[in-house]
Amino acid sequence: MKAKKEDRYLRELFRHKLEYAEIIPDPSVSAKLMRKLAVREFLHFNPLRFNIYYLGGIIAAGIATMLVLSNGNESKERDKTKQPQEIIEQIPLSDKNGIVQTTPQVVPVNTNPADEEKPDSRIRNASDSSGEAVVIKAIVPDQDTRDKYGLAPGIVSKSLSGKDLFKSTSGENLKLREMGISDEKLFEASLYEGCAPLKVSFKNNISGFDSCLWTFGDGGSSWKNDPEWIFDVDGEYRVVLKVFGKEGVLSESSEVISVFPRPSARFEIQSDRIAVPEDGVRFQNYSAGAVRYLWSFGDGTTSDLFEPLHMYDQYGNFNVSLKVYSERGCSDSLMVYNAFSGSAYYIDFPNAFIPNPGGPSGGVYSSASDESAQVFHPSYSGVAEYHLKIFSKLGVLIFETNDINIGWDGYFKGQLTNLGVYIWKVRGNFSNGEPFTKMGDVTLLKN
Amino acid sequence: MMNDRLIIEGCVRHDSRAQKVLYEKYSGLLLGVCMRYAANKAEAEDILQDSFLKIYFRIRDFSGTGSFVGWMRKVVVNTAITHYHLNLKYRYHVDIEEFVSAESGIAGFDEDFYTADELFRVLSDLPRGYRMIFNLYAVEGYKHKEIAEMLGIDTNTSKSQYSRAKAVIRDKLEKSGRLKASYHG
Repeated sequence: MKAKKEDRYLRELFRHKLEYAEIIPDPSVSAKLMRKLAVREFLHFNPLRFNIYYLGGIIAAGIATMLVLSNGNESKERDKTKQPQEIIEQIPLSDKNGIVQTTPQVVPVNTNPADEEKPDSRIRNASDSSGEAVVIKAIVPDQDTRDKYGLAPGIVSKSLSGKDLFKSTSGENLKLREMGISDEKLFEASLYEGCAPLKVSFKNNISGFDSCLWTFGDGGSSWKNDPEWIFDVDGEYRVVLKVFGKEGVLSESSEVISVFPRPSARFEIQSDRIAVPEDGVRFQNYSAGAVRYLWSFGDGTTSDLFEPLHMYDQYGNFNVSLKVYSERGCSDSLMVYNAFSGSAYYIDFPNAFIPNPGGPSGGVYSSASDESAQVFHPSYSGVAEYHLKIFSKLGVLIFETNDINIGWDGYFKGQLTNLGVYIWKVRGNFSNGEPFTKMGDVTLLKN
Repeated sequence: MMNDRLIIEGCVRHDSRAQKVLYEKYSGLLLGVCMRYAANKAEAEDILQDSFLKIYFRIRDFSGTGSFVGWMRKVVVNTAITHYHLNLKYRYHVDIEEFVSAESGIAGFDEDFYTADELFRVLSDLPRGYRMIFNLYAVEGYKHKEIAEMLGIDTNTSKSQYSRAKAVIRDKLEKSGRLKASYHG
């Protein structure tokens, strides 16, 4: 009973509060809705509005019109745009030696006098399937190209004339693959061999085509007239150029591009800290695919050894470079800037030590014997002058030395000092004259 | 302001002015309905857009008798159900743990104690299925049998989901009630 009552309360609460609750939508919702509505309305047929049905009708009508027009005008268009390169000629079937002329002109070879008066008559003939005439589209290279390849106009003429022409008179599918120039170089490459990655520019030497397809032999292709290609992996690549005209493949030609592997220059420097002039620096050579090496040590000296050992006679940050050459002359280089990031001269102090409770040792230490850190002393290299002071936290000088071989044993006036933190300060010069000043703290620990 | 008859006639003709007026006039109310079914305002606005598109294109179906607002509400609820089903496809149904029907100490909830805003928040926090069934049963006033048909579930499922939804809602209301009490006290 109680539950039922509660159920009713709950329902009433929500119904009364929410049934007619209004929430103002974001203004963008209205805009979005109107956009969606416009699309839907467009898709919905309504005789009073412009919609997809009307659009479809218009497109259909447009296509139909274009088809009708293009049927009649196709050959006309082609003639207009390609006239400098393409020649449309009429060759009577009866004439086995069709006359071909390489100048862009329409030559009336037909004796029909009407053709001379009406230039459009060849269009009529183009679509005329009566077999009386055949339309030939010929590609004639421009003068430059012909000169380059020693192609006399006669060659073109020869290949165009004769029986070949009449083998494929099936209207639009007229192919002119036997162009005479297909065996020649249709294109030039800026490079035929070189080191990877090899960038090659190709130049298409023929003109008067619709499109051309380059395949580079490494899976890549291009439709550009004069493409550039980068062969990033070594190998032999057969580059093929196919030239297409309106009626299909006009010609194709190929060249082989040899891409040689590039060696890789790699080296490591044994240490980036050198002490001049004592240390010789060993360069470890990890280069691959190389037969010749040229090192430059950055100090004006060079070497052609595989792994040279070099002595620098002064301190500095040198740029070391290695250039390697393969048998084919491909090269690679590697330069390490500021190869010696730090001087081999350094001085560092520990931050804690544990004095020997057995009594003062006088601070004599050796790096080998002081494994238990009983004496506070630096780790160093190339220190010429040295002055170390140790203070208590209150600033009392507890220890002082000018001898780098003497450290602090933790005793002050014969007594072991208290456990705690002490301040050290060091001044001096390295053997190259570079001064140093350092300060820090050290914690005295007890066993 | 155009009256509903003119608006409806305009919308039947796909008159864009009438469509706009319809939106201006009823979008607030209908978004309120959407809000009850949605997990957040963005989802509610999605439902609202779809609902309006349905209303615009099916306005001929409105018989002219009965309440136009009631008809639109029905369209919105149906759209919300469609959204619910669409959403179900893309998520695994996670059933929250069984609620032990705790005996509530409160016999009823003081209406003035809760704002519409709070109630919306309680609803939007509910699991999708609970929210759907609670709305249809408690607010829209459908019978469990009708709900079962609309959602394509069993009548008993509708009943048990409703009582679980109720338990969750009661729990939430009590909590916010206590919070309120502590603010005021």
